[in-house]
Amino acid sequence: MSSTATTEERGGSALRERLSGAISQLAAAGALIVVFIFLSFASPVFLSADNLFNIGSQTAVTAVIAIGMTLVIITAGIDLSVGSVAALSGVLGVMMMANAGLPVPVAILGGTLVGAICGLVNGLLVSVAGLNPFIATLGMLTVARGLTFIFTNAVAVFGAPSSFRLLGQGVLGPIPIPVLMILLVAVAGYIVLSRTRLGRYAYAMGSNLEAARLSGIPIRRYLTSVYVISGALAGFGGMIAASRVNSGQPNFGIGLELDVIAAAVIGGASLFGGQGTVVGTLIGAFLVALIRNGSVLLDVNTFYQQVIIGVVIWLAVIWDQYRRRRLAAASE
Amino acid sequence: MRRRQVLAVLLAASLALVAAVACGAQVRESGGGGGSQGGGGGKGENAPVQLAVVPKAIGFDFWEQVRRGAECAAQKTSGQADVQWDGVTTETDVNGQVNLLQNFITQGVDGLVYAATDAKVLSKVTQSAKQQGVTVVNIDSGTEPQPPDVPVFATDNVAAAEQVPELIAKELGKEGGEVAFIPFQQGTVTNEQREEGFKNGLKKHPELELVAEQSSQSDYNKALQVTEDILTAHPDLDAIFAANEPGVLGAAEAVRQAGKAGDVVIIGWDASSEEVQGVSDGVISALVVQNPFKMGYDGTNAAIKIIREGAKVESEDTGSTIVTKDNLQDPKVQSVLNPSCENPPV
Repeated sequence: MSSTATTEERGGSALRERLSGAISQLAAAGALIVVFIFLSFASPVFLSADNLFNIGSQTAVTAVIAIGMTLVIITAGIDLSVGSVAALSGVLGVMMMANAGLPVPVAILGGTLVGAICGLVNGLLVSVAGLNPFIATLGMLTVARGLTFIFTNAVAVFGAPSSFRLLGQGVLGPIPIPVLMILLVAVAGYIVLSRTRLGRYAYAMGSNLEAARLSGIPIRRYLTSVYVISGALAGFGGMIAASRVNSGQPNFGIGLELDVIAAAVIGGASLFGGQGTVVGTLIGAFLVALIRNGSVLLDVNTFYQQVIIGVVIWLAVIWDQYRRRRLAAASE
Repeated sequence: MRRRQVLAVLLAASLALVAAVACGAQVRESGGGGGSQGGGGGKGENAPVQLAVVPKAIGFDFWEQVRRGAECAAQKTSGQADVQWDGVTTETDVNGQVNLLQNFITQGVDGLVYAATDAKVLSKVTQSAKQQGVTVVNIDSGTEPQPPDVPVFATDNVAAAEQVPELIAKELGKEGGEVAFIPFQQGTVTNEQREEGFKNGLKKHPELELVAEQSSQSDYNKALQVTEDILTAHPDLDAIFAANEPGVLGAAEAVRQAGKAGDVVIIGWDASSEEVQGVSDGVISALVVQNPFKMGYDGTNAAIKIIREGAKVESEDTGSTIVTKDNLQDPKVQSVLNPSCENPPV
């Protein structure tokens, strides 16, 4: 009967969507593999243990923050403030150790908390004050950067204990600790997106906010939580970055949001909402990192790197548009 | 239908408004008479001279020294000069600096003492300032063209950078070796000059081979990443020249993390306390140290002199010092590294 047909249709279209999402990820993974193979041949040192180690560490900051960004993008939002929030968290975290003498793990949590608070402000602006996420987080981008300069008096903060370096430079056996951090955050992100209410509601809000609201989802609470998570991960990423240079750099992260958004989008997250996965984002983050690493190994000018990354983003978004149109056509 | 028409009218009106404002702004800039430097004959003795001192960006030790020099000069006038210090957050934010300077002009400062983030773009701002009777002095980086009555207090970066290959050659000896170069920002005068000097110097040392060149974009983290990758690509690298503070710190950190401290010669520029620590630790072989304090000090004094006396002040090479582990404790070197208003290196 009609209701059975509708259920089948719905089931069919959900399956199509998931399949198409998987294809998108496959495309990104394919690109990653192609670039990897190309670099292995083009540069004799690309496959060395040292280089792969470096790539892992270099990707950590972007990957960790990009997982938070994925959650935001799934809700059809955006968080432009992650670079500034990372810098703010980094400098405050280092100041906690250098000036207040707090132990390293406490300071790392502290930095993450700073990020979470910025995320809370973003979330409230979006869900309660009803601001467009672009505008709200754009404001936070400048506010956080300004605060970073105020707190540091525009000078870098040094004086963290050398044990702080472990976060961004340490190893556990053969695995760099930043890579472990990527794994940790990725697993947590995967669980949140696929097994928790927050994850389900995020997809729902992103696909159709009104429908989500009408079906009783407490929008304010969950939308705010999404931005808090993004902010917290930006804070944590900022602490990893600070650990790599054992200092709080007020100039850090300018333009970082672009690499982070690129990672999410290349990995299949759609800026229209409702789409995005942790695995896809990781693929995107590593693709961007490979392009940057490979460019230096092959002695390519910095500016060409930017052009390449921009073109890759275009291709990813065009593919996403094409995929959505095919999907919409198929379910008619 | 009606709504669409209303929207079309609004769009047309706003486009017209934008066009009018844009044209209007141009007209205002080129008008305003042709005031010359110093407002012709000096300011009244009692009112303090209002100066805006603007670096390329805030957040680096180098510019902090400039600030101290400027404030020291103002302090020594016993209230006859007020220094306002402000800057954008990144040396690549040219538009931001333009806006900031224009705001200072509108605010009615008597003089602008600034370092241009982009030589060509900022020459228009200097022109505009002079037309409105504001005295202009450049520090660290001038403009292109440099008006003859706007003095520049800066390091002769070309000459200073030419010494770098000499230093590297001395460290590496006759066989020479592979060298990497970490510039910071194409398009700024200081970057171009240091690159020119360095490459001129390299020509005199054929035993040194330039194998890699990657910009740090004035970011410590970025410098760390590109140096890591350069070290991977060139495992036999013998020396690195990084042309400004974040580049040096990132390169030193990368060399340290790769366990090559002491094996790779690092020649750096500027002398933040972390860079100096690097010299003591033996990671950095030598630093080309400018005198940013003197730039701020002499630049501010020049602006005050032009405004009060209408005098003409000549540009000046504020000089450079090579700092190594051996001369670190020299009193002259110390006064450049740790300048203070009581003991200014001027």
